[in-house]
Amino acid sequence: MTDQKTERRKELGFFWMRLAGFCILAGLVIAYATYVLTPKYDYGICSMVNFYDQPENSMDVLAVGTSLAYAGINTNVLWSEYGIAAYNLCSAEQPYWVSYYVIREALKTQKPKVILLDAKPSIYTRDYSKRGRTILSTYGIRGMENRIGAMLACVEKTEDAVGYILGLPQVHSNYKNVKRSDFAFPLDNGGRSSNWKGYIEVDAVEHHQKPSLVWTSTRRNMNEREEAYARKIFELCAQEEIEVMLVGFPNPDYASDHMYYNALWAVAQEYGIGEMNYNNPDLKFGLRYSSDFADWQHLNVKGSMTFSRKLGEDLKKIYDLPDRRRDEAYVSYELCAQEWYKKYPSFVSSGIREGE
Amino acid sequence: MSILSFEFLLLAAGTLIIYYVLPIGVRWLALLGGSAFFVIMAGWQSIIHLTGIAAVTWLGGLLLERLEKKKMWLCAFLALELGAMLWVKYDAASVTVLGLSYVTFQSAGFLIDVYRGKVKAQKNPLKIWLFTGYFLQLAQGPISSWKELGDQLLTGHCLEPVSFVSGFSLMLWGYFKKMVLADRLAAATEILVGDISDFPGWILILCVILYIIRLYGDFSGGMDVVRGISRMLGIELPLNFLRPFFSLSVAEYWRRWHITLGGWFRSYLMYPLTASRAGLKLGKFASRFLGKKTGRVLPTALATFLVFLLIGIWHSFSWNAVIYGAYFGLLMAISILLDPLWRKQNRRWKLNEKKWISPLRMVRTWILIIPAQFFAFTESTSKSLGVLKQCFVNWDFSNAFGQLTGIMPEWEWMIAWLAFLAVLLVDLFCEIGFDPCKKLAKARIWVRWPVLLALLLTILVFGIYGPSGDSSAFLYTQF
Repeated sequence: MTDQKTERRKELGFFWMRLAGFCILAGLVIAYATYVLTPKYDYGICSMVNFYDQPENSMDVLAVGTSLAYAGINTNVLWSEYGIAAYNLCSAEQPYWVSYYVIREALKTQKPKVILLDAKPSIYTRDYSKRGRTILSTYGIRGMENRIGAMLACVEKTEDAVGYILGLPQVHSNYKNVKRSDFAFPLDNGGRSSNWKGYIEVDAVEHHQKPSLVWTSTRRNMNEREEAYARKIFELCAQEEIEVMLVGFPNPDYASDHMYYNALWAVAQEYGIGEMNYNNPDLKFGLRYSSDFADWQHLNVKGSMTFSRKLGEDLKKIYDLPDRRRDEAYVSYELCAQEWYKKYPSFVSSGIREGE
Repeated sequence: MSILSFEFLLLAAGTLIIYYVLPIGVRWLALLGGSAFFVIMAGWQSIIHLTGIAAVTWLGGLLLERLEKKKMWLCAFLALELGAMLWVKYDAASVTVLGLSYVTFQSAGFLIDVYRGKVKAQKNPLKIWLFTGYFLQLAQGPISSWKELGDQLLTGHCLEPVSFVSGFSLMLWGYFKKMVLADRLAAATEILVGDISDFPGWILILCVILYIIRLYGDFSGGMDVVRGISRMLGIELPLNFLRPFFSLSVAEYWRRWHITLGGWFRSYLMYPLTASRAGLKLGKFASRFLGKKTGRVLPTALATFLVFLLIGIWHSFSWNAVIYGAYFGLLMAISILLDPLWRKQNRRWKLNEKKWISPLRMVRTWILIIPAQFFAFTESTSKSLGVLKQCFVNWDFSNAFGQLTGIMPEWEWMIAWLAFLAVLLVDLFCEIGFDPCKKLAKARIWVRWPVLLALLLTILVFGIYGPSGDSSAFLYTQF
C-alpha cells in the first residue's frame, strides 16, 4: 500500500514537472512566434528598439511625436552643423498618451536637456488609438510598466488591452507578410546600425503651395484626452527638470491645424512652456513648399535639411546646448551622420568637416 | 462567455486547479463554483432560467418518487420546463438564455428517467443545479443523461496524467477545428446570405458544401473543446459527433451527427410513441392492408418522421426548418419502409461483401444530404430557393480563380484546405480505430511535445481570433 502511494506520488511529481516544463517551452515558443510576427518596419518600433542600444545619458535633445517629427528632424544635420546630440523617438500618429509613456521610458536611461514635443497630436479627435498605430507605438517599449501603461491608454476598455499585452492575438494574422529577416534575433533596426538616431527619411518630392491662412489667435478645443496627457507630459518634465519645447512642423495642410495648435499653446503657457511654430508665414528660412515636401504632410530629405538647420539654429539660441562633436562619448552621432551623408551624397553638410 | 475567450480559458484553468487541490470528496464543489461563475457572467436571465429549471427538476424528481398519479405530475413538470423553453425560444425574443434547449432537454430527460425508475431523485438541490448547469456543456451540449454524467460530476476524480494529456490534446484539436477551419470558412459561406446574383452556380454549390464543413468544424470543434477539458477533470462527456463524413446512409449520418440530440428524441419520444397503445394499434391496422412486414415498421417510420420534423422545428420556427426536418424525416421514413427490400437486394447481389460499395454509398449519402443544407444556412425560404435556382444557371468557369479569390484570399483557401485535409485525415485514423489523442497521450515525450506545440502554434498563428480575425460565435449556441 505504501509502495503504491509512493509510486503514485512519484508519478504525479513527474507529471507536474513535465507540465511545468511544457508550459515554459510553450511560453518560449509563443514569445518567439510573437517576435517573428510583430511588424518591424520603421514607423515607430525601430526607433524605440534602437533607443535601448544608445549609451546612457548620451542625448541632449529628445524629439517625441508623430511622423512629422521623425521625417522632419534630421538628427544628422543637427549633429554635423551644430554638434547637437539629438534622438528622434517618434511613431506614426503618436498621440500624447503614448508620448507620455515613451518619455517615461526614455527618462530611465537618458536625461535630455530639452524635449521637443510635436504639436500635431493636438489636432487628433480620436479618444483612443487605432489598432495598427497602437502596435507601432507600443511594441518597441521594453519596460513592462510603460508598455502596458501605453497599451491601456490606447484602448477604451481595459479588456481590449489583453490582446496587445499578450501580443500574439494582435499580430498573428501577419503571417502573410513574414520575411526571412523576421526570424533573425536580435532585431536589426530595418538594416541600420545601432548608431542610427531615429531620423526616417522620406525620399520623394511632391509639389505643394504654402498654406494660406489668417494668422489668428482663435482656438479650437483639443480632444480632452490629448489635452490631459499633454498636461501629464508637462508635469512630468517639470518634475524631472527637463525643458519642453512644442514644435509646429511645417506642413502644407497647416491651415486646418492652426486653431488646435493655438489651444495647445494656451495649455502650455500655463506651465511656462514655449512653442516654435514653423508654419508662421513671417518666418523665412528657405523652405520651399514646391520641392521640400514628400507628401501633403511630411518634409522630404531636402526639406528636413533646411528645416533642421533652422531648428538647430533656434535650439542653440534658446538653450545652452553643448557642441559634442569632439567628445569621444558621442562618437555614435558622428558615425551615424557619416553613414547618412554617404547614403545621400548630393546633400552636402556645411558643418560635418568642421567637426572633424 | 464564449469558450473561445481568454476569460473562459482562465476559468477552465482555475476550475482545474481548484478541482485537484480540493479533497476528493468535495471536488464537485469546484465544478459547481466554475459553473456558477460561468452562468453569472451570462447575465441575470440565464441565472433565473437555469435556477428555475434546476428547482423544478429537483422538486419534480423528489415528488415523482413520492406522489401518486406519477404520469400526471410528470406531464405537469415537463409542461413547465418545455413551456419555458418554447416561450423563450419562440415568443420572448428579448430574453437570451444560456444553453436553453440543452438545459431543458437534459432536465426533462432526468425527470422521465426518475419516472421510469431508472435513476433516483437527488436530495441535494446543488447537485441537481450542477447537473443542469455544468458549465462545459452549457453553451451547446452535449445533452447527457444522469447515468452518463450525474455520477461522474459528483464523484471526485484523481488526476490521471494520461487522461489529462489526452484531454488537453482533444481540447487543442477542437480549437483547431473551430478557429483554423470553421471560422476561416465563415467569410466564404456568408456570401450565401448576401447578394448572390453575380456568383456562378458552381461557386454557390461549393459554398453550400463549405457550409457543411464549417458547421461540422464549428460544432464538433466546440464539442471537442468541452470534452477535452472535461476529460482533463476526469469526466467523460458523451460523444456528439462520430465522423459523419464517413456515413454510408442518411440514417447512419444521423447516428453520427449531433448524437445526443438524436438519442434524446429516440429515447424520450420515438420509442415511447412506437411502443404506445396508439402505435401498436396502428401497426396492427396497417398490417391488415399493407402486409405484416410493412405494418410492423409503419409506426416506427411515422414516429421517425415526426421526430425529424420536431428536430427541424427545434432549429428554428420557420418554414425552412420545417422543410429541413420534413426532408430528412421523409428520407428516413422511406428508408425504414423500404428496409426489407434493401436487405433482400443486398443479400441477392452480395453488396455488403463488395469493397467498392462503401465509397459509393458515402457519395450517395452526401448527394442526399446536400440539398437539405440549402434550407439550413438561412431561415428565409425565398433566399434558399433563390440560391437553389441560381445553382442551375451561369456555370461560367472562365474566371474561376478570380471568383474563388474574390470570396476568400488565396492564402486563406490554402490554409482552409490544408486544415480540412488534416481534419479528414484524423477522422480517417479514428475511423480505423486509431485515436490520435489517446495515442499521443501515451507517446514518448519527444513525440508528444513537438506535436502538441505545433498544434498550439498552428491555432495561435492561423486561427481566426483577435481584432484582425473577428472570430465567429458558435453556430449552435443560439439553440
